[in-house]
Amino acid sequence: MDIKTLERLQKLNQLKLTEEETEKLMAFFETAGKDAEILDTVNTENVERMVYVMPMTNIIREDIAKKLFTRDQLQEQAPEAMDGYWQVPRLVD
Amino acid sequence: MKYETVIGLEVHVELATKSKIFCSCSAEFGGEQNDHVCPACAGMPGMLPIVNKKVVDLGMTAGMMLNCDINRVTTFDKKSYYYPDLPNAYQTTQWFAPICVNGRVDIETSNGPKSIRIKQIHMEEDAGKLVHDDWTDTTLVDFNRTSVPLIEIVSQPDISSAEEAIAYLERLRDLLRFAKVSDCRWEQGSMRCDVNLSVRPVGSDKLGVRSEMKNMNSLSAISRAIKYEIARHTKAVENGETLIQDTRRWDDNEGKSYAMRSKETAGDYRYFPDPNIMPVVIDDEWFDGIKATLPELPEVKRAKYIDELGLSEYDADQLVSSRALCDVFEDAVAVCGSAKEAANWIITDCMQVLNKKKMTADMLDINGTSLGQLIKLVSEDKVSRGNAKRILAAMFENHIADVEAYAKEFGFIVSNDTSAIEAIVKEAIASDPKSVADFKAGKEKALMALFGKCMKQLKGNANPQVLREILIAEINKA
Ligand SMILES: [Zn+2]
Repeated sequence: MDIKTLERLQKLNQLKLTEEETEKLMAFFETAGKDAEILDTVNTENVERMVYVMPMTNIIREDIAKKLFTRDQLQEQAPEAMDGYWQVPRLVD
Repeated sequence: MKYETVIGLEVHVELATKSKIFCSCSAEFGGEQNDHVCPACAGMPGMLPIVNKKVVDLGMTAGMMLNCDINRVTTFDKKSYYYPDLPNAYQTTQWFAPICVNGRVDIETSNGPKSIRIKQIHMEEDAGKLVHDDWTDTTLVDFNRTSVPLIEIVSQPDISSAEEAIAYLERLRDLLRFAKVSDCRWEQGSMRCDVNLSVRPVGSDKLGVRSEMKNMNSLSAISRAIKYEIARHTKAVENGETLIQDTRRWDDNEGKSYAMRSKETAGDYRYFPDPNIMPVVIDDEWFDGIKATLPELPEVKRAKYIDELGLSEYDADQLVSSRALCDVFEDAVAVCGSAKEAANWIITDCMQVLNKKKMTADMLDINGTSLGQLIKLVSEDKVSRGNAKRILAAMFENHIADVEAYAKEFGFIVSNDTSAIEAIVKEAIASDPKSVADFKAGKEKALMALFGKCMKQLKGNANPQVLREILIAEINKA
């Protein structure tokens, strides 16, 4: 991980890191990178991709529509709401 | 130098489910803002998604209709996204193992038949709606459409003209509506299309610089936009200008496309597996069950209606324009035995009722078996045509399982009791000596006046031929 990649990741994730946070993260990625290198040494030829860690599949439900919450209940905790809408800072493209 | 156009289409289709893809909120179109919302689709912390089985059913159905391979183990992934119409800051979609791959759609244009390959179909959630409020200078968010289930159908870049694009989209729409995957209504946004287009010299194996137009929502606009972009790209390539890869907005009123501010982040969505959604494994039983529900293709039905049932081409075309009409038709024919009559009742009478209700053919929701019973009663002279129309209107309101019993209950059965008819005829003759005299003097019209009066008295429940005979006999006696 170089500083350029971290800058790009900040942009992609819409984050602004302080100098201190940047240093901390660089150190973290250093270690993480080394761990990944160890994983890279494992021979995975002819090994099928693991789809999921747990042996669980098909947690699915039938197509039934239910109304469990009112709008007012949901917006009780909203930082800002107006006319039944959640209200957020103006979006600039 | 000659140039060729390379077009790939990404088509989003909203699935015909009752509930959303990962929660039980209603997926119905419309409703007041944020009326179809729960903590899960509002992105509140700690909420877990649970996959709607019907979404997988319809995803598979779409794939089978489009000749795809179905991935028997299919998984969901997160796609980074930073607009508030998806509150999780990611869209849940499929990247590593989409439900369908490697399909094909056959089209027909003025250049003959052609196959457009399908790269993949994946299931994903729709985004909500953002409204800008000028007064407070803020953005207002409506999550009603957030998490409504979609499939995205990604074609290979096999399309080379506006005509082919339209033929492909029309065929796609026909197939998906026929299989009841979606109502595919452009005007309601349940079908929309992204157009990727580039131009290159004929024979070149390198693709030209690509432009993308997002969220196109009408066939005519797509056709115009493609023609405009082909001209723009060709001119640039001819003049040796360097095009830049961009996302463009099509202004259909002006007939021009505009570059949108390109986002640096575009194209890097950093997909990663969603750990909260277990893989969906489609076993043979599930797969075969869906396969068994696939409808015959519209053109197969059309040929059958003409060749085996003896319908005219016009009638067959009308019926196969909608799966709902076909279903009612086939059920009705099975009961009444007359394809021609059943087709007439659907194309003329049912459509009349639908038009009055401002509904489309796809919304025809009467029981075909009941319609067949009704047609049979009319052909057996048990119910008059006029009263049959009244019964049909009632069928649009309520399911009528036993039409004959219903007709009896509401007095719609044609009377074969000639003594009752004779009594009414005698009464009419006695009360209108002028018409009787006129008819005897040779005025045919006078008979119609008497006939009408009697039929009204009988509430339409008389065989017209029988009534006419009795009427003439009684006049001659008078
Ligand atoms: Zn919900």
